[in-house]
Amino acid sequence: MNTLEVENLGVRLGRFSLSGIHLSVRAGEYLVLLGPTGAGKTVLLECLLGLHGLETGSVRVRGRDVGRLPLEERGMAYVPQDYALFPHLTVAQNITYGLQVRKLPKEEIRRQTAAMMERLDIGHLAGRFPARLSGGEKQRTALGRALVTCPEIILLDEPLSALDENRCYEYARWLKQTQQDAGSTFLHVCHSFEEAACVADRVAVMNDHGVMVQIGTLDEIIDQPANRFVARFTLCRNILPGQAEKNTPGARILLDNGMWLHAGREIAGPVYAGIRPENILLLEKRTEAAENCFRGRIIQVSRRPAGREIRVATGCGEMVLHTPASAARHEIGQEVDMHVPRDKVIVMKA
Amino acid sequence: MCGREAAGFFPTIFGRRTWFASGVCAFAVLLLMAFAWLFISGSRLTSWEGFASLSRQPWFWRSVKLTLYTALATTALAAVLGVPAAYALSRFDFPGKKAAEVVFLSLLVLPASSVGLMLMVALQYPPVRLLQDSLHIRIVHSLPGVVVAQLVLALAFGVVAWRVAFDQIHPVYEHVGRTLGASSGRVFFNLTLPMAGKGILTGAILAFSRAMAEFGAVLILCSTFRFRDPGRFSAVSKFLGIDRADILAVAMWMEMEEGQMERGMALAFIMLGLTAVFVYVLIKMKKRAFHEYTGS
Repeated sequence: MNTLEVENLGVRLGRFSLSGIHLSVRAGEYLVLLGPTGAGKTVLLECLLGLHGLETGSVRVRGRDVGRLPLEERGMAYVPQDYALFPHLTVAQNITYGLQVRKLPKEEIRRQTAAMMERLDIGHLAGRFPARLSGGEKQRTALGRALVTCPEIILLDEPLSALDENRCYEYARWLKQTQQDAGSTFLHVCHSFEEAACVADRVAVMNDHGVMVQIGTLDEIIDQPANRFVARFTLCRNILPGQAEKNTPGARILLDNGMWLHAGREIAGPVYAGIRPENILLLEKRTEAAENCFRGRIIQVSRRPAGREIRVATGCGEMVLHTPASAARHEIGQEVDMHVPRDKVIVMKA
Repeated sequence: MCGREAAGFFPTIFGRRTWFASGVCAFAVLLLMAFAWLFISGSRLTSWEGFASLSRQPWFWRSVKLTLYTALATTALAAVLGVPAAYALSRFDFPGKKAAEVVFLSLLVLPASSVGLMLMVALQYPPVRLLQDSLHIRIVHSLPGVVVAQLVLALAFGVVAWRVAFDQIHPVYEHVGRTLGASSGRVFFNLTLPMAGKGILTGAILAFSRAMAEFGAVLILCSTFRFRDPGRFSAVSKFLGIDRADILAVAMWMEMEEGQMERGMALAFIMLGLTAVFVYVLIKMKKRAFHEYTGS
């Protein structure tokens, strides 16, 4: 049984609306809800919490319809964007709050709080007030406060956006590790693919208009994006429109400039061909016969930690490719030949 | 942090905020000096004689008690009614919300005497009078009327301030509290109220000062008590020692009317002193609350 099941959720808030949202989160899964700013991710979370009345659809937690239940009975814990630690309570009191509400015996509360602080390595902060915590410490406290009540699912709204960017990935790994150790179910909202890639078991992608475009594992959304939007969002920088026809095994795509591109997937009709920058190879020598070869002139070279990013003007527009740091240096204005293996061409229906 | 927050309220058209702040301080110091000068100059109207004569008046201590008791009662009532009202105005949308806001804001600027007159007419309206009769209370021209007159105006000040206090607390804290399993009532008392503590105190200071300073509404609704027949006062008011006395603001006006300017001025200074003491105490409490809050 899925921990969270959202069916055909629709909501209207003034001019903004969400409709036809389907989502399911399995028990013990880390699902990332990925979308650009303004897509309505936070609104969706708020709908799950019951802060907005639904126009259509239902929300189920472990098979139980929670649509009419108040916030406190939905079995969801919430970690908002800036953590919303209660400023007048210490770290320990923040964590204890959910246990006190449950009227557990005092001894039990003390034991569980201590165990949670031990587990999240914040025992030394017990007496501190949130105003005097660093971003990472706040994150730990907020997560501890949510985890200690053993909710069915924890909703995290941009949990890394308030943190120092340099240490973001460290915190992301910690989140993932904590989720795995606790065996809990996380629904994490963010707008950065790289962040999602660090933590997600599965990713749900929303577009600017609040439509859920694709849900799948990282491999699925990276290798078979459902459309141009998902491809762009997953950092596929070169997207070329064209007309595909079957050419078993695979397909060949007539690009706008009259060039043929061969792809591994069988498909016909208007399509977009996506090529990731790291999948474009620079050729030493031009080989006339080879398929999927482009010729172009380098217009920009910029240094990246993992190598160089090169922009090349070709017959079918500008293309971006990444080369490793060890590769030969290229100059602006230089003519180059590029090759894309046919199994690296992503094809999406237009 | 407290100072920086406060500075944020000053508009920057004064160039540097420090200039503006020192201007305000200078103004306060000038006022203090002016008051001191009233004594030093040996003006006939301001002298220790005035205080001495005042303390010999049989009604004086009853007046002080009446003023403090009614202002405290008003503040307590205003808090009980006004804090939930302010919370509702801050968090929910309901029909008539705009009208309620207009009423509260109008009460801030309306002459208090007109509020007093409207109250008196409304409370004399037959059905309302019948209701009072059935409950064996009388509001117009009676001591409870003092609290009613003060309450209407103090409530307006309190609600406006308390609403700001709640507005400053993002509802997300309440949402988080509820996801942790607390009911909305529990969240209000455990989280929202303590977090709004500073603002609630500020509202209470305002309501209390307004209640203590109320003159027009009280005079019109209740008239004066000093010369009334003792038999017309309830046992409770006699027990509390607040019968046959007027609140200080009204007493001051009566002294003036009787040509007792020295006693009138002495009363004015006493009210200044009382207000200053209360505001100081409350500011101290506010500061302590702030330190507890941040742990600094």
